[in-house]
Amino acid sequence: MEKQINKIMAYEFTKEDLKEIEKIKSHYPEVKPATLPVLWIAQNRFGHVDPDVQRLVAETLELPEAHVHGVASFYTQYYKEKKGKYVLDVCTCLSCQLCGGYDMLHYLEEKLGIKEGETSDDGMFTLNQVECLGACGYAPMLQITNDKYVNNLTSEKLDNLVDSLKKGEEPGYEKMEMPLRKNN
Amino acid sequence: MSTVDWKKYEPVLIPDIKDLHKIDVYEKNGGYQALKSILTDKKKWADPKSVVNEVKDANIRGRGGAGFNAGLKWSFMPPADGGPRYLACNGDESEPGTFKDRKIFEFNPHLFIEGALIAAYAMEITTIYVYIRGEYLTYIKMMEKAIQDAYDKGYIGKNIVDSSFSVDFYVHSGAGAYICGEETSMLESLEGKRGYPRVKPPFPAQKGLWGRPTTINNIETLSHVPAVINRGSAWFKNIGSPTHPGPILYGISGHVNKPGVYELPSGIPVLDLINEVAGGIRNGKKLKAVIPGGSSTPILRADQLEGITMDADSLRTVGSMLGTAGMVVMDEDTDMIDVLWRIAHFYHHESCGQCTPCREGTGWLEKILLKIKNGEGEVRDLDLLLDVTTQMEGRTICALADAAAWPVRFTINRFRDEFEARCKKSVHAIA
Amino acid sequence: MPQVIIDDQTYEFEGQHKLLQFIQDLGKEVPFFCYHPSMTAPANCRQCMVKVGQFVKDRESGEYELDDDGEKVIRWFPKLQTSCNIDVSDDMIVHTQETDELVRRAQKDNLELILINHPLDCPICDQAGECPLQIQTYKYGPEGSRFEVKKVHKPKRVVLGPRVILDAERCINCTRCTRFTEEISKTHQLTITSRGDKNYPTTAPGREFNDPYSLNTVDICPVGALTSADFRFRARVWEMNQTPSIDITNGKGCNVDLWTRDNLVLRITPRYNGNVNDHWMPDEGREAYKIFNENRISRPLQKLDGEQILSSWNNAIATFNEQVESRDKKEILFIGSPHASVEENYSLQQFANLMGINDVVFTTHTESGKGDGFLLTDDLAPNTNGCRLLDLKELDQKELKNRIKKATLIVLANDQFIDRELFSDSDVDGKYLISFATNLSETTKSSDLVIPITTAAEHAASYVNVDGRIQRTIPAKETKYSNRSLNLEMSVGRLDRYGTNFDNWVSEDNKIDCIPLWNFITEVANASGLELNFEDGRSIISEISAKRKAFENVSYDRMDAEAGIQLSLNNTTEKSKVK
Repeated sequence: MEKQINKIMAYEFTKEDLKEIEKIKSHYPEVKPATLPVLWIAQNRFGHVDPDVQRLVAETLELPEAHVHGVASFYTQYYKEKKGKYVLDVCTCLSCQLCGGYDMLHYLEEKLGIKEGETSDDGMFTLNQVECLGACGYAPMLQITNDKYVNNLTSEKLDNLVDSLKKGEEPGYEKMEMPLRKNN
Repeated sequence: MSTVDWKKYEPVLIPDIKDLHKIDVYEKNGGYQALKSILTDKKKWADPKSVVNEVKDANIRGRGGAGFNAGLKWSFMPPADGGPRYLACNGDESEPGTFKDRKIFEFNPHLFIEGALIAAYAMEITTIYVYIRGEYLTYIKMMEKAIQDAYDKGYIGKNIVDSSFSVDFYVHSGAGAYICGEETSMLESLEGKRGYPRVKPPFPAQKGLWGRPTTINNIETLSHVPAVINRGSAWFKNIGSPTHPGPILYGISGHVNKPGVYELPSGIPVLDLINEVAGGIRNGKKLKAVIPGGSSTPILRADQLEGITMDADSLRTVGSMLGTAGMVVMDEDTDMIDVLWRIAHFYHHESCGQCTPCREGTGWLEKILLKIKNGEGEVRDLDLLLDVTTQMEGRTICALADAAAWPVRFTINRFRDEFEARCKKSVHAIA
Repeated sequence: MPQVIIDDQTYEFEGQHKLLQFIQDLGKEVPFFCYHPSMTAPANCRQCMVKVGQFVKDRESGEYELDDDGEKVIRWFPKLQTSCNIDVSDDMIVHTQETDELVRRAQKDNLELILINHPLDCPICDQAGECPLQIQTYKYGPEGSRFEVKKVHKPKRVVLGPRVILDAERCINCTRCTRFTEEISKTHQLTITSRGDKNYPTTAPGREFNDPYSLNTVDICPVGALTSADFRFRARVWEMNQTPSIDITNGKGCNVDLWTRDNLVLRITPRYNGNVNDHWMPDEGREAYKIFNENRISRPLQKLDGEQILSSWNNAIATFNEQVESRDKKEILFIGSPHASVEENYSLQQFANLMGINDVVFTTHTESGKGDGFLLTDDLAPNTNGCRLLDLKELDQKELKNRIKKATLIVLANDQFIDRELFSDSDVDGKYLISFATNLSETTKSSDLVIPITTAAEHAASYVNVDGRIQRTIPAKETKYSNRSLNLEMSVGRLDRYGTNFDNWVSEDNKIDCIPLWNFITEVANASGLELNFEDGRSIISEISAKRKAFENVSYDRMDAEAGIQLSLNNTTEKSKVK
């Protein structure tokens, strides 16, 4: 007998999600390639792709659950559990390391009172150390919840950032210029 | 041949025009002319093969790191048999030190779109996918908008510019895996699976996405194509170094005063790039080491850089590679063991785990380097590291193991004294 | 003919072959882990490295290029290649570890890398003794370990499913198990989770690995990562004897190996047969080992005053003859069984014929919907077609009940009718029921005379499967009357060679007091003066082969040489469609 999880499926896609999923499926000749985009839709809707969400994705796309689990566990951007309201991914690789990425990480660890990989008790912040985010010229930098980059960090900039995030104000997109261009 | 007078260079990839990402501005500045030309001017461009030949003649060496002649790669596609054929554009850009493709997405996306469309026409392709790394959410949205604008104006879709050429263009987002920048791993990720690279042969041109002929090109590589069509391969070959022609988007980062992305001809002397373009080492320090093109390329000491220019052949003479031209500059205060350990950690984290030498080897390398970094290593550990790199290199399905082995081998070889100084003094006469 | 040179020896070949399979077919060896002949080759273990080159042929003239010494120029592939996914082609030159130093080094390096995170579990690991990692490390691997840092830790003793236990640290990520669930059993229940050296195989979270073929992954796992929950820690491989046999739990007739130690069958594993079951068998067939060991009937049983008591062989023979002779032949019903072998049914049939009874009947044992088109069949008996080919009369349940009603003496070969609810205890009230049986059951409890007979593990006999293929078993377990050293077909292991009855690893109790059905028939016949002599399975099948057209040209030697013989089923009368 199959050991079922004794939880009613707490997750459902909305009608808009399902329409989006149909559109995505039309981009590919078969249904399996939709696994990654639909996991993104699920993460944007529910904030993470824990086992129940993976099961929802597998059911919606009619793919084996083990396949969806394998894909979700391979890619690092899919959160396997609920994270804090703001996930701060601090890059510490190569250029960011040379320009003080680790100092920024330790500063945040002290400031938020958590170690890397942990979530703060009030559920506001999760702090992570990540690999190269493709902003090496603007090191050190961090990414907020798979979205905006905050570049050229200093301790003051971090202070301001944490304060505005606590107020619920996310920074906008910071356009980084190419140094030789004037008409950016 | 040009004397690489980079000071007088006029940018072609990302011209200095405001709002070039808007399709009206792009069209007004000569955009989509190349596409229209190959589709309508049958005297100049008789058939798709003529486009392939022009691009092959221009010798656009792949800007994704491997440096393979793009036009030559295009000619590997088999003749069309009526089934679907694919172009997969590699925008995964996760190599540490590389941050150039994002500029194209942001400032001149239509140039890339046009390049991809020309490539699709040349190789009789039915669907184009652009794979963008998941962290670039902003740029994914920018690309989706640009593609939608191009669809609306009839540059993508059915019967483009009233010709018989039809193609579809879709954006596929990654989700945080460096290995998916490897071409066959990207195909696996596009197919919705775990990003395990495939065994080659069969090559993607024969059996790519869903078993169909597929070509993979880097974003920057495809962005060169419209200019080659508009101005001819001879013009292109005249820019920069003769064996590695064309403009390159240099990404300079690290301990320099003016880090950022610069569009300049290939073949710039390395020292000019650091001292004149990027403003020299910050805080007046001295240069210690340079990684020329992303973390996979072997590191170079400051004294090895005399007369070396930024192109594949010149760098090869000193035992390095051009890679993605994402240069990382290190000043005299840099701790090489720290840097090397962090690079080894990167490859350990990003190894897909499919084949044995890379999966186990990257972990072993990182752990030994951690031991040395903490001051508990011995000189024989250095030799063990070099041995492990030999065990990993050339034995795996993809090149990640090579990319992980080279930094270890060359950094230790070129900075041996510094590493030995960090090791414990051995009790034995023979270390 | 195209030619390939392997280790300086030239071989001709035709058709398409993978290099590794070709080398193995020649009897040579190249170490490997992830390759399996029945599944796709992912080439991810990187162990089967060889050096490959090709003679250079001028494309236009077709002539070989020659170097300065007049030797053919060889263009070597720039890197070592994995032989499992290279096709053998004309003019190829191959060097394995036997003739090339670099190949030897590559294989040694690869084994070293596999072992750096592999836990030192050999003393407690089930796979020891049949572990390709152990064997290949011993032959091609490094002599010691240079790994002085911490190994990666992963979950151990994970109950993956009801029958399989996972030890993730031992896993070398060959992906044989995930490929099995994708390509062979098609249930897609396993996947590799995580990335890099933290990866290991697992099911979707919250799901069990309850694939009906899950234990095959335990067989193909090259290390002790997947182990059988039932067999775990039960015995060491070198203590057991391995005997080829046939799966008797269903009609497919999967070829198996019975593993015995001290005359107990400890586990059943599949044996390769390209025509029947490839390398696989269903999990249900593996649980059959309990039938051979437990609940056996040792010594005949007789009912006196309603109570079943132990009897003796002489009594049994005498009672049997008494019962048969005291009745009119119209009142005697002989029932054969699809669970019994061809030889057993034949000897029963011959005895019945001598008594003047010409229709020996039988009924099938099927469960509709059980078959899955792979190795599970609706037919739950191993020899249904054998009964048909012997011209036993096939009855359904209603007809059988009628015949039983009319009979006063019923002789039943190995079948559990009352347990199967084909008829009940009350149906046989007042009648004399003689059963030949291997295990205690409701049927034997209701029988007046129970004769213990040998199971498929104790005799050499043949069974015809649902496709009409006749295959045979080889005795793996001794009875009180058979002796391993005297029977040349039985496997003899170290413990058997050197053990005596006074050693603590030989238990007499494991040998059951039973004899093959045909021997009992012979005794009974001779006791009443009839000419009937059935000595062993081999002579019976020769007699059947000579006398019955359906079994023309059948012999044990031929069955062994050809892995079973395909018989024609055209002349059998099939009452029900059996898959």
